[in-house]
Amino acid sequence: MSSVLERIFQRYTEELNKASDDPNIQLALSRAVKSYRDNTAAAFKRFPHTPKLAGEVRAIKEKAIESMDELVAQARQAIEANHGQTYLAGTHEEALKLAADIIGTGKIVVKGKSIVGEELEIRDYLIEKGNEVWETDLGEFLLQLQHGRPMHIVSPSVHVPREQVAELFTKFFGREIPPDIAAEVEAVREFMREKYFSAHFGMSGANVVAADCGAMVIIENEGNARICTAVPPVHIAVVGIEKVVPTFQDAMKVAEVTWRYANYTVPGYVNIISGPSKTGDIEKVTTYGAHGPRELHVIFVDNGRSEMAADPLFRQGLYCLRCGGCMYECPVFQLTAGYFGYRYLGGIGAIWTAFVAGGLENAAPLVYTCLRCGRCVERCPVSIDVPSMIAELRRRIVELTC
Amino acid sequence: MSLELKLEANDYRLPPTLEVIRGNIVKYGNPLGLKGNEIAGWARNLNLPRQGDVLLYTGGEYQLVPYIDSLVNMLTTMKQGSAGFSLMLGVRNLINRVGVNPEKVVAGVLSRERERYQDVSRKAALVLQEMGLKICYLGEEEVYSGALLYEYGFMGDLRQHARRVAGLIKSTGARTIICLSPHAAEMFKLIYPRLVDDFNYRVITFLEAVYDLIKDDRGRVPSGFSGSITVHDSCRMARELGITEEIRVILSKMEGVTLIEPEFNRRWTTCCGGPGKVLFPALSGKIASRRVGELAATSADLVITFCPYCLAALDKGRREGQKDIQIEDFIEFLFRGIAQ
Ligand code: SF4
Repeated sequence: MSSVLERIFQRYTEELNKASDDPNIQLALSRAVKSYRDNTAAAFKRFPHTPKLAGEVRAIKEKAIESMDELVAQARQAIEANHGQTYLAGTHEEALKLAADIIGTGKIVVKGKSIVGEELEIRDYLIEKGNEVWETDLGEFLLQLQHGRPMHIVSPSVHVPREQVAELFTKFFGREIPPDIAAEVEAVREFMREKYFSAHFGMSGANVVAADCGAMVIIENEGNARICTAVPPVHIAVVGIEKVVPTFQDAMKVAEVTWRYANYTVPGYVNIISGPSKTGDIEKVTTYGAHGPRELHVIFVDNGRSEMAADPLFRQGLYCLRCGGCMYECPVFQLTAGYFGYRYLGGIGAIWTAFVAGGLENAAPLVYTCLRCGRCVERCPVSIDVPSMIAELRRRIVELTC
Repeated sequence: MSLELKLEANDYRLPPTLEVIRGNIVKYGNPLGLKGNEIAGWARNLNLPRQGDVLLYTGGEYQLVPYIDSLVNMLTTMKQGSAGFSLMLGVRNLINRVGVNPEKVVAGVLSRERERYQDVSRKAALVLQEMGLKICYLGEEEVYSGALLYEYGFMGDLRQHARRVAGLIKSTGARTIICLSPHAAEMFKLIYPRLVDDFNYRVITFLEAVYDLIKDDRGRVPSGFSGSITVHDSCRMARELGITEEIRVILSKMEGVTLIEPEFNRRWTTCCGGPGKVLFPALSGKIASRRVGELAATSADLVITFCPYCLAALDKGRREGQKDIQIEDFIEFLFRGIAQ
């Protein structure tokens, strides 16, 4: 009889092979890789200071992770001083429970893209608790309808061509949607508007958080995160504890490097949120709940990150900005997209899977898929040495199995 | 370290091919359990001394490559479902069901291939001698560096194995080691010093050795080739060892050779897929074909590379993709001009 791991490995290998044989995936990926490379090259040309800034960001992250606990405490204080509420979830379960306690049941939740959300599988959890939850990022929405999982961290539906989108939408909306990208986008826009204004809760992640003032930065292009975090009466942000950096200035540097390596000259929107909406317009008396949310809840999530931070080799995994650049340069990812992944994708995803989401048994196949070719390190703004971490994880896996 | 497996120990078995390879290295000194004469046969008529200042180290890697391919072919053509499935059967099952034993693997190697790869080491020795370098060689005693033990995470075994290899190297009296494979160079340069006391040698690749011999020479380097060439930088060579410019200098000193760079070169080179060959053969083959595509896009007549695994992976990619570009190792390429 085959063992549990054998079955995990087997299913995984079959998926990898299927993905690399799928002409749709291959077409979508080769287009995506090419445009990523072209856009990034153009963006670097226009903003040639980027690599130097990335070097500064590496130093910022090194320092930040060294004092992660203090920075999180400082950020929490700052957010509370701004009249937000904060929580620290030690584990996956705690994080979900905190969110569910705030939301309750029978509510409508609109959600922006969040990788921590994927890590926690929070959408399914909240739906299970009797809520209606909508992914508002177009790519994530597609996956929600498809019951699929993200295939790239920045462009989750990188593998779905427009024809397939049209089919899916026609079925979901109950009317003919042509395979025309503009028409597809319009259909979602119309549908979402209604949801935004009837939602009780808006959820988001954050790309980086400034400890000194509690400002959370959310980078986006579609404008959905902006609406999710501004229109519903309550905003819940779920944030990994590795996202906190000392100062607002640091946060801006991290943000710019993140979007530049995610192939943008500048993103459509950069949201900065530090507390619930407020006004002092009448008699200079500060009153919370003006046009935006009345309440802000920030759930900081540890879930294995402290363990990573305590390990001198794996600590660097926490420097990851989630720009997604490495994936486009990975020869395996170029053929398989997020099938080379679990909740987190690609080589860096193998590390995160081992420590944070999935455990060593789900990480093992990924760990042994990595070619250790090292091109991801060339691309990575913070030069994360994935090949060395992969070698060490293999050593630990062997140690545990022999 | 609290990383743990949430499964029972016997629910967790590594792919058995890894076990086969590990066992062979530990027991026979090389990944496929080949005999010393299979690996050292090339040196039969060269009378290389066992001791000297400069050690030529083949690690058996070029010699072994066709056998690894044969093993992988055998595994991918097995009937029980996908290759991944087959790989996950227990070791004993693997051997019982498909009879993966050294004889079968050996029988699966085309003699043409075997000769080509055996000959790479001979050519390397002849080129170095022709250029005036005195080299020694361990002959049938030579043992594989253990790079795959490192690759797959068998560090305990590697520690033991490294001591054995280090002892052999020490007994030659050499101060410089010339490695034919960049994987061996990586091991001796970056890993062995962490595992073995007093392992400090000057470790260079064949490419660097040649570069050292010609760099101050104002004359031309003889070339037995005229046409356009593109270079496939090996990942280990370019990124781990940082060796990218030497080959370009050597080529620039050759008459009749035009270098056309592929789009992804030097530190941005694309992996040949070789490292995935044993566990994910189908995927590995596709990665190789892609890389061959990038190289063929230069329209050069010839690709040269400097690693046994790159050579085998790319050449297979070329055959399967029916690309009419030639693929050679730098050693084979140089031999034509210098020693032939
Ligand atoms: S590992 Fe580096 S390149 Fe990859 S997503 Fe993280 S920051 Fe970006």
